[in-house]
Amino acid sequence: MSNIDRRTLVKGSLAAMMAGAAFSRSAFAQSSEPILLGVSGPLTGPNAQYGTQWKQGFDLALDEIQAAGGINGRKLAYNFEDSQSDPRQSVAIAQKFVSDPRIVLELGDFSSPASMAASPIYQRAGLVQFGFTNSHPDFTKGGDFMWSTSVSQADEQPLLAAYAVKKLGLKKLAVLHLNTDWGRTSRDYFVNAAKEYGAEIAVTEGYIAEERDFRSTLVRVRDANPDGLVLISYYSDGALIARQARQVGLKQVICAASSVYSPKFLELGGEAVEDVHVGTRYFPEDPRPEVQKFIAGFKKKYNGLEPDAFNAYAYDAMNMAAAVVKIGGTDRRAVRDAFMKVKDVPSVIFGAATFDVATRRVKGAMNAELVVRKGQFALWDGKPT
Amino acid sequence: MSSWLDYTINGLIVGNVYALVAVGLALIFGVSRLINFAQGSIYLVGAYIGWVAVVQLHTPLPLTIIVVAVAAALVGLIIERFGLRPLQNSVRIAPLLATIGISFVLDQLVMLTFSPNPRALPSQLPDVRFQVGGGTIGPLDLLIAGVGLTSALLLFVFLRYSKLGWAVRAASQDRDAAMQMGVDVNRVNQAVFGIAAALGGVSGMLVGMYYNQIDTAMSLQATLKGVVAEVVGGAGNVPGAVIGSLLLGLVESYGVAVFGTSYRNLFAFLLLVVVLVLRPNGLFASARQAPPEPLTGTFIAPSRPVPIPRWALLAAAAIFAILPLFPVSFYVLQTLINAWLLGMLALSLTLVAGTIGQVSLGHAALLAIGAYTSALLSLTFSAPVGLAIIGGGLMSAALGTALISPSFRLRGHYVSIATLAIGEIVSLVILNWESVTRGPIGISGIPPLSLFGYELISPTSIYWFSFVVMVTLALLQGRLLSSHLGRSFRAIRDDDIAARAYGLSLNRYKSLAFIFGGFAAGISGGIAAHLYSYINHETFNTQQSILALTVVILGGLGNVVGAIVGAVALVGLPEMFRIAAEYRILIYGIVLLLLVRFRPQGLLGTM
Repeated sequence: MSNIDRRTLVKGSLAAMMAGAAFSRSAFAQSSEPILLGVSGPLTGPNAQYGTQWKQGFDLALDEIQAAGGINGRKLAYNFEDSQSDPRQSVAIAQKFVSDPRIVLELGDFSSPASMAASPIYQRAGLVQFGFTNSHPDFTKGGDFMWSTSVSQADEQPLLAAYAVKKLGLKKLAVLHLNTDWGRTSRDYFVNAAKEYGAEIAVTEGYIAEERDFRSTLVRVRDANPDGLVLISYYSDGALIARQARQVGLKQVICAASSVYSPKFLELGGEAVEDVHVGTRYFPEDPRPEVQKFIAGFKKKYNGLEPDAFNAYAYDAMNMAAAVVKIGGTDRRAVRDAFMKVKDVPSVIFGAATFDVATRRVKGAMNAELVVRKGQFALWDGKPT
Repeated sequence: MSSWLDYTINGLIVGNVYALVAVGLALIFGVSRLINFAQGSIYLVGAYIGWVAVVQLHTPLPLTIIVVAVAAALVGLIIERFGLRPLQNSVRIAPLLATIGISFVLDQLVMLTFSPNPRALPSQLPDVRFQVGGGTIGPLDLLIAGVGLTSALLLFVFLRYSKLGWAVRAASQDRDAAMQMGVDVNRVNQAVFGIAAALGGVSGMLVGMYYNQIDTAMSLQATLKGVVAEVVGGAGNVPGAVIGSLLLGLVESYGVAVFGTSYRNLFAFLLLVVVLVLRPNGLFASARQAPPEPLTGTFIAPSRPVPIPRWALLAAAAIFAILPLFPVSFYVLQTLINAWLLGMLALSLTLVAGTIGQVSLGHAALLAIGAYTSALLSLTFSAPVGLAIIGGGLMSAALGTALISPSFRLRGHYVSIATLAIGEIVSLVILNWESVTRGPIGISGIPPLSLFGYELISPTSIYWFSFVVMVTLALLQGRLLSSHLGRSFRAIRDDDIAARAYGLSLNRYKSLAFIFGGFAAGISGGIAAHLYSYINHETFNTQQSILALTVVILGGLGNVVGAIVGAVALVGLPEMFRIAAEYRILIYGIVLLLLVRFRPQGLLGTM
């Protein structure tokens, strides 16, 4: 084979050896070294925006954890490796993390293909994979080292259905959903719950994440003659659909899943998202102390920027990781066991989060029913729109 | 019935949007016979320059358009001068790869400057809506239509009646003859790139305003749809590109109307394949038009492969074979496993693209077919994993060849476009054929690799397994290349008319190449499925196809060892740049550009 090839190889093994030397040194170094978490997530590629939001949430949580004295006197830190949400890269990152003895816990990845491709590696090596945005129902079935604080769609969607059907009195719904594992699972839970509450599902339409143009989809929606539109969307596509729905003259009530909860939804949607109803897990005026602390801290750290749902997931995840490591220490197996012991961790999303040991997920997400009024998210006042 | 009017109007509106990109692509193709993969990136740059002008500088609309057009034209000129002109005397495939590298660099620069968060790009036109049928259209729809049609018209007039336009057309017909007649070909190229880039930039801005949203992911989608529209209309044909775009918009809209939203792109790509099969030069190609230049011969570098002594190959293979015995981290092993898997895909592609000259841009589809077959065989029928993977390879060989066979009569760039479309179709069928593929939910719990009842779960054993499989495939392929069959393949690549005159049946040989290539790719996909334990329609995406082609071109087309070296390099480089975090893909793009610049025939040369 060529020289270049051998050179790469030599460089690779040199790097590995140096890394090995670094690990053994860190094993001797005591409490001055921070406790390290591995993060596998997208910093480049099509999902890069979500990785950026994770970072904001992590950094805020870390500031607070450090200010409160860290983990038993040691600092907590993370090592963010960019996976581009690509399974090929997330498996390499997984091997990197499991063979780095400093890493006590792994967070991520973002998409299901990237996360679940890495799961077998984490499971076999005995390093917890803490997938805090992994709502895929099979994610935690990967093994007893897979834990998730992602709100189960079995929990979230009935809440949204109750908002749409019971509170807003919608009887005939059109559901538009992202055609991903998340959107598809969510849609099924939503449809079941809505039917149970007595609503009729007029039409469901799945669209791919890159879609920008929804005009023809909205003609289908119009022809099905619903009295409400339900968006199982992220904020960017949710805003696009709302805008185009208003442009083509659809005046029905719009209800959206909590994933659109972001200042970007208001910015991108403009006037079109006025009066859109959103079921969320928290809201700015929420009196709960953990929410107030999160929002105030976030705005202070990021020049007045409003946090969004993904910021909150990441912030909660880092706090949960800190709580777990406080109990479990730096032994990986003990960290796994700590997930079973940890109780009532203050959480923006759950209020107080405790894992269900059987499913390795957290139940009982908080619920807030919001509506966009004058370009702001506000608690719904009970008035129909 | 009124709904059909609405679907028609919506189709035309979105077709309008596609036309803006397609016209720029058509112009560049018309002159340089180059599919400019960076056109979507210029569109992206235009959108963000527009954002700066509108949101930060508060320029009025006419000024915004001028600012964006000038800035984007400058970017186009820079690309032409520093990215493409140095390659004009090298092989035809080099500029294609260069535009891919340039698009990486531009996209990353925009992402690093503006963050990946989507931004709102407010429209500067009054918000009035006109009722048309059951829906409404706004002033921006009219402006986009106006810009699309006017630019197509102006370009048509420019090409037909101006002196520079004649020069452009002369250069596109025969560059050398044009030069002999005193045409300054560089100036022509500059003019074309400047105009196309200005148009691309303005279209990005207008589309951003249209959706009130710009983000860094819009570039690849714009290129894909633009390429489809352009080819449907007839590559290099500017008015054809506009009509192709409108047709594409209509087909998508009617597809949504009849079958639902999730089938939308399926119809776009089916339209493309049907048009290519029935009218390979596009719908509006005139009969007098010269046939599309074959990729073969002039397109592939007439270089000699770098001679590698047998002992060096053996030594390298031995080193890699015993590598896990040394204290190498699992991370390095896993990275090399990825390289071996990509290597198998590259072997497959280097055979069909390099040896027989069918440059495929949809090769990830073969991975997906192999992966799904193997996963389903082992899950549903509890087939042993080893057999299931072979089943994946066979299915990929059979189905892949059958799917690709309609494009056998195509030549040149059209093969790439057709395979690109077939790749997208496979991915969309996987998404929609829920009873078999489980749709977007994907297949989870795929059993780990195992051989004769022994589970291969340690990275070391997976490393050896994938290495042995890859080396076996490589040896088989090497043997194939030195046989009579291999020589026939190369004869078809180098001159298909001569090959036919000599009595070679092109379709049969192309089928044979795809059967062999499909098998290797299917095996790679099958192993990946058992390695990942979970796959869905996103696991094997277009980026994989583009990566595979990059590997093959980098290694040297048709070169077996080159494919493997290329795979190691392109898996290894982004991993080595990890330290650079967000900058790593930018660095990767730059390295790719430098490689193309200084080694256009690939690291190890064409075989």
